[in-house]
Amino acid sequence: MPAAQFDYIAPTTVDEAVAALVNGGKDTRVMAGGTDLIVKIRHRMLFPTCIVNLKRIAGLDAISVDKKNGLTIGATALLADVAANKGIRRHYPTVAEAAGATANVQVRNMGTVVGNLCNASPSADNAPTLMAMGATVDIAGPSGGRSMPLDQFFQGPGVTALETGEIVIAVRVPPPPAGSGTAYHSLSQRGKLDCSAVGVGTMIVLNDDQCTDARIIVGACAPVPMRTRAAEKMLIGKRMTDTLIRQAAQTASEETSPITDVRASASYRWKMVAVLAIRALTDARQMALRKSTSK
Amino acid sequence: MPMETKTLIGKDVPRTDGRAKATGQAIYADDIKLPGMLYGKLLRSPLPHARILSIDTRRAAAMPGVRCVITGQDIPRVTYGNWRLFPGTQDEYALAMDKVRFIGDEVAAVAAVDRETAQAAIEQIYVEYEELPGVFDVDASLATGAPVVHDTSPTNISIDRKIAYGDIEAGFAASDYVREDTFTVHAVSHAYMEPCACVAQSDLDGRITLWTSTQTPYIVQCLLASTMNMRENDIRVIKPAVGGGFGGKMELRPWEFCAAFMARKTGRPVKFTLTREEELAFGRRRHPMTIHSKVGFKNDGTLVAKDLHIYLDGGAYNAMGPTATFLSGNFGAMLYRYPSYRYLGEHVYTNKPPASAMRGFGAPQTLFAAETQMNIAAEELGIDPIQIRLKNAMVSGDELPGVATISSCGFVESLKEVRRISGWSRKRKNLKTGRGVGIGCYSFISGGVFNWFNTQYPFSAAEVRAFDDGTVHLLSMASDIGQGSDTVLKQILAETLGLKMEDIRLTAADTAMTPQADLGTWGSRVTLMAGNAVLDAANKIKERLAGAVSARYNLNVIFDIEFADGRVYAAGKPDRGMTFGEAVAFVQKTQRGEPLVARGSYTPRGKGLVSPAFSFGAQVAEVTVDTDTGQIQVEKMWTAHDCGTVLNPMAVEGQLEGSVQMGLGYALSEQFVMDGGKTLNTTFLDYKMPNAADMPPGESVCIDTFEPEGPMGAKEAGEGLASPTAPAIAEAVFHATGYRCKDLPITPEKVLKGLGKL
Ligand SMILES: Cc1cc2nc3c(=O)[nH]c(=O)nc-3n(C[C@H](O)[C@H](O)[C@H](O)COP(=O)(O)OP(=O)(O)OC[C@H]3O[C@@H](n4cnc5c(N)ncnc54)[C@H](O)[C@@H]3O)c2cc1C
Repeated sequence: MPAAQFDYIAPTTVDEAVAALVNGGKDTRVMAGGTDLIVKIRHRMLFPTCIVNLKRIAGLDAISVDKKNGLTIGATALLADVAANKGIRRHYPTVAEAAGATANVQVRNMGTVVGNLCNASPSADNAPTLMAMGATVDIAGPSGGRSMPLDQFFQGPGVTALETGEIVIAVRVPPPPAGSGTAYHSLSQRGKLDCSAVGVGTMIVLNDDQCTDARIIVGACAPVPMRTRAAEKMLIGKRMTDTLIRQAAQTASEETSPITDVRASASYRWKMVAVLAIRALTDARQMALRKSTSK
Repeated sequence: MPMETKTLIGKDVPRTDGRAKATGQAIYADDIKLPGMLYGKLLRSPLPHARILSIDTRRAAAMPGVRCVITGQDIPRVTYGNWRLFPGTQDEYALAMDKVRFIGDEVAAVAAVDRETAQAAIEQIYVEYEELPGVFDVDASLATGAPVVHDTSPTNISIDRKIAYGDIEAGFAASDYVREDTFTVHAVSHAYMEPCACVAQSDLDGRITLWTSTQTPYIVQCLLASTMNMRENDIRVIKPAVGGGFGGKMELRPWEFCAAFMARKTGRPVKFTLTREEELAFGRRRHPMTIHSKVGFKNDGTLVAKDLHIYLDGGAYNAMGPTATFLSGNFGAMLYRYPSYRYLGEHVYTNKPPASAMRGFGAPQTLFAAETQMNIAAEELGIDPIQIRLKNAMVSGDELPGVATISSCGFVESLKEVRRISGWSRKRKNLKTGRGVGIGCYSFISGGVFNWFNTQYPFSAAEVRAFDDGTVHLLSMASDIGQGSDTVLKQILAETLGLKMEDIRLTAADTAMTPQADLGTWGSRVTLMAGNAVLDAANKIKERLAGAVSARYNLNVIFDIEFADGRVYAAGKPDRGMTFGEAVAFVQKTQRGEPLVARGSYTPRGKGLVSPAFSFGAQVAEVTVDTDTGQIQVEKMWTAHDCGTVLNPMAVEGQLEGSVQMGLGYALSEQFVMDGGKTLNTTFLDYKMPNAADMPPGESVCIDTFEPEGPMGAKEAGEGLASPTAPAIAEAVFHATGYRCKDLPITPEKVLKGLGKL
């Protein structure tokens, strides 16, 4: 493919980045790792006139794990760094696993968790777990900063709630509630390194063996990573038995609206949502029980 | 030949091109930049079947930076195709004349000062089409009243091939058990790492030099000459470093023609480099086939008869389809002794990118069917799959009537070895759901005998020039496309002359400089054929040098002369001898300065119709299957195979690993997702080629045989191994789950459907 032509700006502060975006107009694009962006340009799906690279902004790659404030992943923190971070692995193990299960070594060394979210692919591997854990995104823009829950951030394939000139500076995850358990399961056609055809992320909270809260998010089976609220409702207030898990998983599957594409057929995806939801809920229950016994 | 005296043969000699490739210094066609070079780009048909009503190139031609625009109207009306022996099969024009037959068919070409301008110009060419109904599979193509793809083939069957021997009706009548199945196999991509690229230059006399990523420089030279209305000797084709071919780079291709034609027109070099998307969307692929197979057995598992009917879905042009049609019939008769056998192969045109040669050349498809059917028969007859194979296995000396003689065969040994190393008997007894083992086998050719290209030269040739500084220069048209033949040819020469690898300079695959001719790299022919040619030339050099030493020391004529450690001497009397260089100087003196040069060649003669030699092997796969998701994990592969003398174990191991990788993809994950004639998955994101992390561990054994027709006893190791993996995995999946796949690839969805869960 012929090389695309565009201006390239590498600001050193968030304000400069926002200014560059505002000045550049609608064909200006933010770049973190570029592992989605550059591929799209090469495939002539995007024709930006200007690219604003965030990786020179000091501190934007920070990761902090804090008992009170929870987890903060800066916009340029690499997938590899999130996957390897000791604090995340200890307190948010599924967040680390999802980052570690994204793409391959090379891409994880370039690409970012926030980029994965901002790319807004329905199959983004990091979205379901973060949504299940109630993450919010911190946004900087021409009219100041704002935050929004991640499950309102996704608007459609490739479309987010970001306004012109806005960038995500971090994704924040609240401290996991006592008695919570999380899990993420995904499937693809080609073994280990592949884009997911289906993914299910969940967080459940147990009080003894009563489920007091549950979130189930399904990836790649709707225009956005999708919460299956009816399935969640089935669990809340009940004992989380195997039978109940199977019923909730089935309901989750019925709530989704997968399509047939080159990666999988709709009927297979439907079936797999149920299978993966059973696995994710079972694993999450186990983690919750383990945490409560080790207390 | 006493093996213990070998210094290089049988050793892990590192690839001579390894360092250049690992450090990025190897020069591929796209690396070549010449002064004033233009960049070419092709305009391709967006429709699968249409008549071209008009093409307007005026806007494109007027764009600044555009130097040349051509369409079918500008070029000689000469068709080409590799089956020169049968001109009726030559069905392609470099640029479409009046019809396009698949999405991607080349319609026009542009040469411009840079890639961007060329791309922009392509988008300014306006083609008016009259769309025609298309046919996208064999059934549709053969239906009565189906649209005709080529007027020359009103039935859409472009070529057929029949084989028959033994009394097949009597065979089935005498069978206790007859099994009839239909198998379907799909298209996959060669997915060579280097997309096709070439650079053409025209000199002031109008002679063309073409650097191109090809497996067959000689074929490209000849066909370029005929399509350009030029003389063969006015065209020089040079093969630079090539990043794989697997059968996908063995024909003249439109960009090679367009580069040469536009270089001549503009007087400036022209380069074309294809993109991965072009390769996946429009490139050659492996033939999809519909395979009807009927086999008859005795109750004890003895084979009696086989009736095989194959439709090859050829896509829009013949490409190498005729050879695949021809060979599939031979592969169907290999491995086992079929007292009676009948084959009908029919090559069918459809409006899709042409299928062509691809690693295995009909064998992966045919053997998937044959080996799966053998596994079904074993199951139904209550015989162990390896036992039933041992009962029917070919052995050295077996003959395919009128077709071939098997001069060496290590199949029985392969079966026994793979049974041993895989722990088959124990694993086969394990009936745990979700885990299983299965077997698949192969036999393959070591080069073809049938001269479809109608070459007027030896099949392979070599020239060796010896120098008085103790070095030699090997010239050969053999094409190393990554398989390592340069290394192996040097090994053969160095071993024969008692020299070191670094004493050999190699000039390869340059049609103006290397001896006429070589049919190229395909059909696993290079080691055997070019190896024999090198050996022939080396032996002639030896003869002369031995004479020199004999004369110098006045040796009795009964003395053997040894060549070792850079010296030439009387056997057992190392002091009566001289260095290799001194011996060369001596010969050169005797001929008053004429250099010492010898030519060698190889053409198979008296070897039937198919191949001078056949490889054999057996492979066991162990899999686990997740019966809720249908996902298959290949845990391990065991291989025992007979490639004759192993000239370079490391190189053979490399071929084996590459074959397993391709076999995995063929069996499990690779396929083109098509919507009619349109290929939907045109990137490696969605074309699911297995990658390093997907590779299972493996173990292998080479069976020690000696092939009398091969150089130092060697035969092929490059393609046969591409076949057993899919049937072995399919059988392992059956053993693990009870689901029997007769329709590749074995996707999770098919497994779940097979288990009644979807
Ligand atoms: C070979 C390969 C394999 C892959 N496999 C997977 C996989 O298994 N699972 C998966 O989910 N993804 C996969 N991907 C996609 C991609 O790598 C990930 O989505 C990655 O996390 C993107 O991060 P990035 O930093 O490279 O994003 P970029 O490409 O830099 O950006 C992605 C998009 O987000 C925007 N953006 C980035 N950062 C910000 C920000 N701070 N504020 C606002 N907008 C922003 C960009 O403008 C762009 O539109 C794969 C990609 C490749 C090339």
